[in-house]
Amino acid sequence: MDAVEKANAERQKRWVKDQKVGEGTYAVVYRGRELATGRKIAIKKIKVGQFKDGLDMSAVREVKYLRELHHPNVIELLDVFSSKTNLNLVLEFLDTDLEMIIKDRSLVFLPADIKNWMAMTFRGLEFCHRNSILHRDLKPNNLLIASDGQLKIADFGLARDVADPGYKMTCQVITRWYRPPELLFGCRYYSTVVDIWSVGCIFAELMLRTPYLPGESDMDQLKTIFRALGTPTEEEWPGHTKLPDYVSVGQFPKTPLRDLFTAASADTLNLLSRCITYEPRKRISAKEALHHPYFFALPYPTHPSKLPKTAAQTASSRPLDEVDGNVDNTDGSGTSGVKNAPPKKLKRKLSGHDISRNIARRIDFTAS
Amino acid sequence: MLQSPTPHEVGSPKKTPLFQSSTQYKNWRFSEEQLMATRTTLNEAAVAAIRNTFESDSPGSSSDIQFLDAHEEHLLVKLYITKISQLCGHFRFPEEVEATGITYLKRFYLKNTVMDWHPKNVMLTALFLATKTTNHPISLESYTSNIPRTNPSDVLDLEFLVAQSLAFEFAVWHAHRAFWGIWLDEISQAPPHEQLQAIYDTALQHIRTSRLTDVELIYPPSQIALACLSLSHPEIAASWARSKHADTALEAIESIKRTITRDGDIPSVDVVREIDRRLKICKNPEKVVGSKAYLLKKAKEEKEAELKRVRKAESTRKAAEQDDPFGEELAGRANLDDDD
Ligand SMILES: Nc1ncnc2c1ncn2[C@@H]1O[C@H](COP(=O)(O)OP(=O)(O)OP(=O)(O)O)[C@@H](O)[C@H]1O
Ligand SMILES: [Mg+2]
Repeated sequence: MDAVEKANAERQKRWVKDQKVGEGTYAVVYRGRELATGRKIAIKKIKVGQFKDGLDMSAVREVKYLRELHHPNVIELLDVFSSKTNLNLVLEFLDTDLEMIIKDRSLVFLPADIKNWMAMTFRGLEFCHRNSILHRDLKPNNLLIASDGQLKIADFGLARDVADPGYKMTCQVITRWYRPPELLFGCRYYSTVVDIWSVGCIFAELMLRTPYLPGESDMDQLKTIFRALGTPTEEEWPGHTKLPDYVSVGQFPKTPLRDLFTAASADTLNLLSRCITYEPRKRISAKEALHHPYFFALPYPTHPSKLPKTAAQTASSRPLDEVDGNVDNTDGSGTSGVKNAPPKKLKRKLSGHDISRNIARRIDFTAS
Repeated sequence: MLQSPTPHEVGSPKKTPLFQSSTQYKNWRFSEEQLMATRTTLNEAAVAAIRNTFESDSPGSSSDIQFLDAHEEHLLVKLYITKISQLCGHFRFPEEVEATGITYLKRFYLKNTVMDWHPKNVMLTALFLATKTTNHPISLESYTSNIPRTNPSDVLDLEFLVAQSLAFEFAVWHAHRAFWGIWLDEISQAPPHEQLQAIYDTALQHIRTSRLTDVELIYPPSQIALACLSLSHPEIAASWARSKHADTALEAIESIKRTITRDGDIPSVDVVREIDRRLKICKNPEKVVGSKAYLLKKAKEEKEAELKRVRKAESTRKAAEQDDPFGEELAGRANLDDDD
């Protein structure tokens, strides 16, 4: 065997693949562990054989950037190995994502919780931007949450380096609801602040518990934005009518953010408005955002370990053998006949824990 | 293709990105001695292995074969670096693609030998991979149809091997980028100079020459950039270094300048042709599709795979019998079961 193949085989042996936990557009994700330590990991298996141009661009981007980026708020790529025609990315295991947390109606968010999720998002993003990397697909489901509450930016399948000045980039990036208006107008020269708009939308979504600007088509997306924020004027966003795909979608009046975000503090609304500023050059940068008064005002951000958790997270922070006994959500690939039923005692204990937290949260919330 | 900097960027210097934490800094920088040792070791191991293959096929058959030495291997790779540049000119690929393809080729041969993998093919794959990793993808079809006597499979068959050899570390920090940075800095400070364009062009030419040498495997891109500027115009380079309080860098770049001047020549075609002729005889027969050694190796691999399948079936059966879904047996099974 070649030295290179041998090294690959050695790396492969370090990791054990257990069961399937999810499936994305181009990959299947498994839960697994590090053989030597038992540490929980995720293995993202990308089938390469199916692409006629070889290694697919999303995989190339993801590997390229995650190999370089090491930060507490960016998902950690622990290893890469290949098996026959598959590429395997070994990632730190993350229990859930911000979308699941937002959708979990049994959880109540305090302003301090939102503040920490925002701080962690901006820290991770500032690090990407400092390394001249645009993420281009920020949305709640790409912000994964570790068992200790740390938020990690994931899914670098659309990321790229900041382009050289004058170099055209595609505007077909970022999931529609989180896409900034300059991209909707077909702007091909853009910068790191496209990601900031997305973060603004996520910020609003954390407060509203529902997507802030859910357009039904690209055209409707512009309308949805303008309905919420007012149609931009030439003064407020110079030159936008000259953008390649500019269309007029009607005149909508400005309504103060306060009308929708009734409970938010002035600092909160100021930071939000700086993220969803029309003129890209006036939009706040990740670095500036981290120095925004919002992060220094009361209430202070919740400690990550105290952030609201979904039931899955609460379960997974327990010792491994207990969790294993309680797993009944595997892919059902025929082995289900041998599974144990979840112990009743454990279940009750878990839900009891959730309820008490929720009540406490509610009281806190109304009192503040 | 020469992308000159626009004034737009001058007013907003980017914060220095973190070269020190890059995979290039951590895993792809060596001393000259280390490079020499790596290549020699690889070469000797390959010669021993190939000799062994020849001998087991027919004893005594390797005695009059003239294997390549590490230096000859290196010359062959160097010639193929110039082929990458030619192809990039043909395709009008940006500088970034060219520089990255060349880096991949060099890194590949710090893990492999030309007696196993001929640079003619590796070069094509390294460049194709570079178009993707630098975000300038082109379809495989239009890539290979523009290169004579090349099929898509020639490129794809090696893609995994190349990616593995690079340890999937695709990001590369280039001297030409560092040079653009210095240049923007310099023209924003210096009084207008008549020959500015010529100085710029010459420096960039030196950077292209430097790609034929090992300097990128030894020095950081910023120092190579400064060395090339210094080769073009020593005073401008010195004044820039002083303005950055980087006088010590000026000493470091002297040895870079010497290496570029010494090693930056294109190898003589006659010499390389002779090396290539000998390579036809001494290349690893296990890598020649259809040869006896190749078929033997394939058969051995097939036997191992069969054994693995049997083991897997066995442990699956055991696990089912024991009714223990998370026991060691199943874990063992999952470990073997990596391709379903
Ligand atoms: N590091 C991880 N730890 C635990 N589970 C993960 C991890 N990464 C991904 N998953 C799970 O696997 C699923 C698929 O992930 P993946 O990133 O491939 O695709 P996706 O983001 O869901 O979809 P898309 O490819 O369309 O963006 C996720 O939804 C999640 O449930
Ligand atoms: Mg995703």
